[in-house]
Amino acid sequence: MERVSAPRVRRLQLVSVLLLLAVWEATARAGWADPLFVPAPSAVARALGTIGGPALAALGDTLGKTAIAYVLSMVLGVAAGLAVGSIRLLREVLNPFVVALYGMPKILVLPWIVLLLGYGTAPAIFYGTLHGLFPVLVLVTGAVRDVDKTLVTVARAYGATTWQLYWKVLLPAIVPSVFAGMRLGIVFCLLGVLVVEMFAGIRGMGYVMGALANGFQAAELFAATALVSAASIAIVLALDHVSERLSHWRG
Amino acid sequence: MTVVLVRLGLVAAVLAVWEVAGRAANPLLAVPPSAALPALRDLLLLRSYPDLGASLLLTLREIATAYALAVAAGLAVGGALGMNRLLGRAYGPMLAALYAVPAVVWYPSLMLFFGLDAASKIAFGFLLGFFPVTLAVLAGIRQVDPHLVTVAKSYGAGPLTVFGRVVLPATLFTLVGGLRTGLALSVIGVIVGEILGSKRGMGALINHAYGLLRTADYVALVLVTLALIVGTDVVAGLVERKARAWSE
Repeated sequence: MERVSAPRVRRLQLVSVLLLLAVWEATARAGWADPLFVPAPSAVARALGTIGGPALAALGDTLGKTAIAYVLSMVLGVAAGLAVGSIRLLREVLNPFVVALYGMPKILVLPWIVLLLGYGTAPAIFYGTLHGLFPVLVLVTGAVRDVDKTLVTVARAYGATTWQLYWKVLLPAIVPSVFAGMRLGIVFCLLGVLVVEMFAGIRGMGYVMGALANGFQAAELFAATALVSAASIAIVLALDHVSERLSHWRG
Repeated sequence: MTVVLVRLGLVAAVLAVWEVAGRAANPLLAVPPSAALPALRDLLLLRSYPDLGASLLLTLREIATAYALAVAAGLAVGGALGMNRLLGRAYGPMLAALYAVPAVVWYPSLMLFFGLDAASKIAFGFLLGFFPVTLAVLAGIRQVDPHLVTVAKSYGAGPLTVFGRVVLPATLFTLVGGLRTGLALSVIGVIVGEILGSKRGMGALINHAYGLLRTADYVALVLVTLALIVGTDVVAGLVERKARAWSE
């Protein structure tokens, strides 16, 4: 196959985005699309200015809940993954349940969670944690199970205590899986928090977007959507950057 | 053997705890299994929700439409990006960046654009199912032996023929995995869409029962919806096994 130069790729990306925006703007200006549903990019940019301050506050609220859910799901996921992965009976008994729960649409239990925890922050953190927990749990369980048995035997033969075995052998071995779980987990946590805010929110970006949709404020809604998307992509890129740095350092 | 026994014991223990806790708690908030079963019977006998059949059918139809669109678009986009290096290098990373956004951010816009009826659920189910199919096609094409493509081209095959006759059969193994993930996500998309806002379908019934604090009916509706989801997954699993056996 022919080689493709990097500048050509960049040029095509830039041209496609600009072309898309231009066609979209022209369509809206020419009146081919109802501005009630498809606002022009220029109108979306203006709307970003009008919703700016409150939207940033709502985004901060959402990201705060996401951060708490994220820390909870990583700590619980790694701890449970270490336990389930290293204890054979636990693994064999629980694994099918974990896989089934991972695949189940958790939205079905959301109404019940809201009944129990009420509206607001608590159900958002709980549901976000529930979403972020499973990827890291499944990845860590698999990584612990696949740790080279020789390493464990040798450590034992040299008199390592159980605590040392976990700390010096198992923990370093699961680091790549934890990073992979952290990358998947952040998107899952944010998804969970946004869903609760849309379903039963009183604050936060999900609530704001739901309200804008119900109020037929398309330009403001598109602006809010762009804001959340940009924040999410930035967070994932930052995580990628950090984990690349750390894996360099690990050698 | 012991493992199966321990598993059964665990399920029994969870049900027992649920029963005890459910009886002690406020009946508006918690339903013990002994109360959920009569509610399930009433539901299946069409006593509590007479329009259960129509709702199930609507939800199934939304899933089927969303999935069919996702597969068609995923094959087309994945094929185009995989067969053309320039397109793949330019648009592949852009698709990956969109994949890093939690999909539910698009749902309010879809609801505004397509309304509260089936169309917005189909659009959301399509969006969720589209990505895994596209990414599986891309991953599969990367594994195809380039010599096969070169030989086919030298015998005068055009890009469409190469894709249909050489690439697609060779990628089938990777593709069926993506198709199955895509189905699971299309199902989730439709259900999430219905629960976040709809007038008909299983999600609307669930919201209705929840809103009126008919918690026993809510549990029964969730069980029926779960059966629908597990059913589609079992069928998909059978098809997947057939396809894998055939591609080997």
